[in-house]
Amino acid sequence: MTDSTLLKTRLQAVSNLDFSPSDTVQSAEQISRPSLSYWQDAWIRLKKNTRALVSLYIVIGLALFTLAGPILWQVDPALQDLNQLSQAPSLPKQAIFVEEHTRWEGIVLENFPAEPEAFLDVLPAPTNLRTAETATTQAVRIAWDPVVGAGGYAVYRNQHLPESINDLGLPLGTKLAGNEVSYEDRLNVEGRDYYYSIVSTDGYDESDTYITLKVTPDLAITKTEALSRGLITEESIVANGETIDLEFHPFGTDYLGRDMLARLMEGARVSLFIGIVAPFLYVMFGIFYGGFAGYFGGNLDAILMRFADFVVALPFLLFMILFKIAFGIGPGESGVLPMLIALVLLGWPATARLVRGQVLQIRTQGYIEAARLLGAKDHYLIIRHIIPNTMGVILVTLTFAVPAAIFTEAFLSFIGMGVAPPTPSWGSMCNEGVKTMLSHPHELFFPALFISTTVLAFNLLGDGLTEALDSRMRSRE
Amino acid sequence: MRRLFFPFLTVLCLIAPLSDGFAQISASSADFDTQTITLALTQEPPQLNSMKATDQVSALILGHVMEGLLSYDRRGKIIPGVAEKWEIDSTGATFWLRKDARWSDGKPVTADDFLFAWQTALKPETASEYSFILYSIGNAEDINKGKKPTESLAVTVVDDHTLTVEFETPIGYFDKLVAFTTFFPARRDFFKARGDSYGADAKDLLFNGPFRMTDWVHSASLKMVKNEHYWDRDNIHLNAINADYITEDSRARLNLYIDGKIVHTRLDGETYKDALTQRQRIRSFTTGSVFYLEYNFREDRITTNRNLRKAIQHVFDPEEFVNKVLATPGNLPGRSLFPVWLGGVEDKFRREYKAAEPKIDLALARDYLEKAKVELGVEKIPPLVLLVGNSPTSAKQAEYLQGVFKEKLDIDVKIDIQTFKQRLAKMTSGDFDMVAAGWGPDFDDIMTFGDLFASWNLNNRGRYNNPDYDRLVRIGMTSADPKTRMDAMGELQRILTEDAVIIPQYEQGVIYLMHPKVKGVVRRVVGADPDFRRARIVK
Repeated sequence: MTDSTLLKTRLQAVSNLDFSPSDTVQSAEQISRPSLSYWQDAWIRLKKNTRALVSLYIVIGLALFTLAGPILWQVDPALQDLNQLSQAPSLPKQAIFVEEHTRWEGIVLENFPAEPEAFLDVLPAPTNLRTAETATTQAVRIAWDPVVGAGGYAVYRNQHLPESINDLGLPLGTKLAGNEVSYEDRLNVEGRDYYYSIVSTDGYDESDTYITLKVTPDLAITKTEALSRGLITEESIVANGETIDLEFHPFGTDYLGRDMLARLMEGARVSLFIGIVAPFLYVMFGIFYGGFAGYFGGNLDAILMRFADFVVALPFLLFMILFKIAFGIGPGESGVLPMLIALVLLGWPATARLVRGQVLQIRTQGYIEAARLLGAKDHYLIIRHIIPNTMGVILVTLTFAVPAAIFTEAFLSFIGMGVAPPTPSWGSMCNEGVKTMLSHPHELFFPALFISTTVLAFNLLGDGLTEALDSRMRSRE
Repeated sequence: MRRLFFPFLTVLCLIAPLSDGFAQISASSADFDTQTITLALTQEPPQLNSMKATDQVSALILGHVMEGLLSYDRRGKIIPGVAEKWEIDSTGATFWLRKDARWSDGKPVTADDFLFAWQTALKPETASEYSFILYSIGNAEDINKGKKPTESLAVTVVDDHTLTVEFETPIGYFDKLVAFTTFFPARRDFFKARGDSYGADAKDLLFNGPFRMTDWVHSASLKMVKNEHYWDRDNIHLNAINADYITEDSRARLNLYIDGKIVHTRLDGETYKDALTQRQRIRSFTTGSVFYLEYNFREDRITTNRNLRKAIQHVFDPEEFVNKVLATPGNLPGRSLFPVWLGGVEDKFRREYKAAEPKIDLALARDYLEKAKVELGVEKIPPLVLLVGNSPTSAKQAEYLQGVFKEKLDIDVKIDIQTFKQRLAKMTSGDFDMVAAGWGPDFDDIMTFGDLFASWNLNNRGRYNNPDYDRLVRIGMTSADPKTRMDAMGELQRILTEDAVIIPQYEQGVIYLMHPKVKGVVRRVVGADPDFRRARIVK
């Protein structure tokens, strides 16, 4: 240092800078950016993967939906709203108050024959089809004028204007006398357009002509119903004809009028519980088992892995049923616990194989040998060197195991092996929804959407993690 | 397991684009020129020996190819069959057979053919499941149990065309019994010639009904043609009935109907919406069966507590159940064990003896519940096991009940879904608290329902035991006076409600499609259904 200072001073003195050797730049060996740990680097690369990042947000969103959702949306998922069966998602609806329903005896004409005196070849359709009272969703009462020669009438209801005699819709009922000229319809009446048709019969066969009436019932609710739904209190004074807001079902309702959103939230709990706990447990076990087998190798490895092969060969469904019986799970009780155990007991070999392969590879690496030569003990080697290096594989297995478990739960609940009613799970909701897929698609759509989204999100996140956690890909831009 | 995800989506995509095109029925399933119709049977009949038949399909076929002493008309009233007139009093009955009634080989139908069939049905070695239906005939029960020889049956063949029957005990509905399948005739020489194979094939049967079977390809098809020897052949319009298809799959049957291959199919909750979008003419019909919740009355069960049963009775609304839960047309709200179509003294029974309708009253129900809790000494009613069948709708019904019980009475319900056989086994062993059960009529008399909860009836799976009930059933079975019998049944109906023995749910209705050109088809609650005997095809 002293020499160089002297030299510099001398050179400056002679101003012969051009001939001097260039200054040694000490900082050339310095790293240009801060040191990154394995995890920081992985996170940076994950953040660059948009698909994985979106999937991560979806997974976080699902966790919030499951845990925080029920706090925000406090609707009992088992509460049946029979006024709103299988409602598609819609804005809040209003209903008018009506009297309690009382038995309607209908219109029976005293001075008209019940049975025809003679059978006619051609029976005309009734005339003057009308609503007897204001039509509401509580009841639609229709009446018509009698037909001479009729021994009865058949009442039909359709949701579109009939095009022909074969297109009258649902046969609501029949009147078996020519003088009974009214009908009360209470069969799941909704606030939509209906086309009622009447056909005369001779008591057996129906004639070929009909009369149709369009009726649009008003959405109505009785005081008892409003009370039991908690829409009003005992003290509330409501007059008939007044309107009231009905419960809001943003995702619609199912076949028993239960709120879909609340059920999806409760279903998520079962689906995600199985989906996260089961893989976590069996991946943990798999790591231990595979790590042990791989590290010690030899005959022990051979025996352990043959046992793993044996477990792979066991049929999952059969074991699921056996566990259900072994645990004394009676009819009508939830099968979630046996499902969890069956998943854990039969799911681990895949992870174990993967981890074993990884460990076999790592333990022959030079740095392991070096560490061993320096006197590192087995447990130090495993904890410090082997496990961290298999972490990538482990996390990826876990993210792929989660959708698989969710799907298994959905599948088992779909075939009726999983949750017991009234507890929903996404799979059992799909099972119910598929029955009415054509008429009420939302009952299948939402749970299916949630299953699909969750499974897809976990899969994409797993893909992203594979890339991000692969140490060979490190810092390769 | 992850792979499963993709096939699942593929299946969804395949199902989704269902066509909704308008399908016109072609004329082939109902041909006007030849007066021939084509049907699909739901099942293959196990065999067609009328003495042993128990199932619906056998009853349908036998109803077309055989005829009993008496028969039912379009309205379900008793009319002459092989017998042209008859007399029934409290001690016995006499039937005068028509001279022109003939078997399909041209020989006359005689009184001995009936005696022989009834004796054979009662023989212990025949092991007929329906032999008990003959027990009203003198010595029948003893013969069936092997205590007396078959010749001791109290039926006398006066001559070829006169038959007299002595009753074991007075019976008020013998005319309706003889229209039942088990009472159909069989000819002694033919039966003996065929031996064990009687009824096993088309050639192993003789027919005395409006049709005769010509061809029976097992599990494939069955053909019937008009019986040219039938006494009333001039009023039979159809020349042939071809059962060309045998399938239980309701969707397959619907497709056959839409393609014009068959004239009739029954619809269920899954297929009726398709039929609607296909713009088919749907009809409905009440099957006459009653469905109800039955309790377990075995000693260790909490459902023996009357107040608990009353509490449930006052929260279950059959009308809501029918309109909102079943939500298919044709069903009637259950009010009684006795369906509306049963005859009473003169009019319909239910018009003469109105069934009490328990009020839907939450406060009253909770009062009963509190009383029940005190009597049972419990803080909360323990969970009840509800046994149901495995049809798609029964799970829905059970879930509805579970919701109602929980919401209104805070009673937990465990749903036990079982297949028909397994459910029957569990019902018999008493492994339930409540069971969703149903009963279809065997014959057109109130006693086909009335004796269900008698202490000796094996179908009384809950082991309900009430001496008053038993006494009323005995009156109903043995009294010959309609008024006395109906009064007894009216009282029995009152007990059923008062004691909350069952919770009636609904009277079953079915919806079906019938070719619009086929007229005169009769839907029956008892006997062959649908009945094509007097059907005809119009242009």
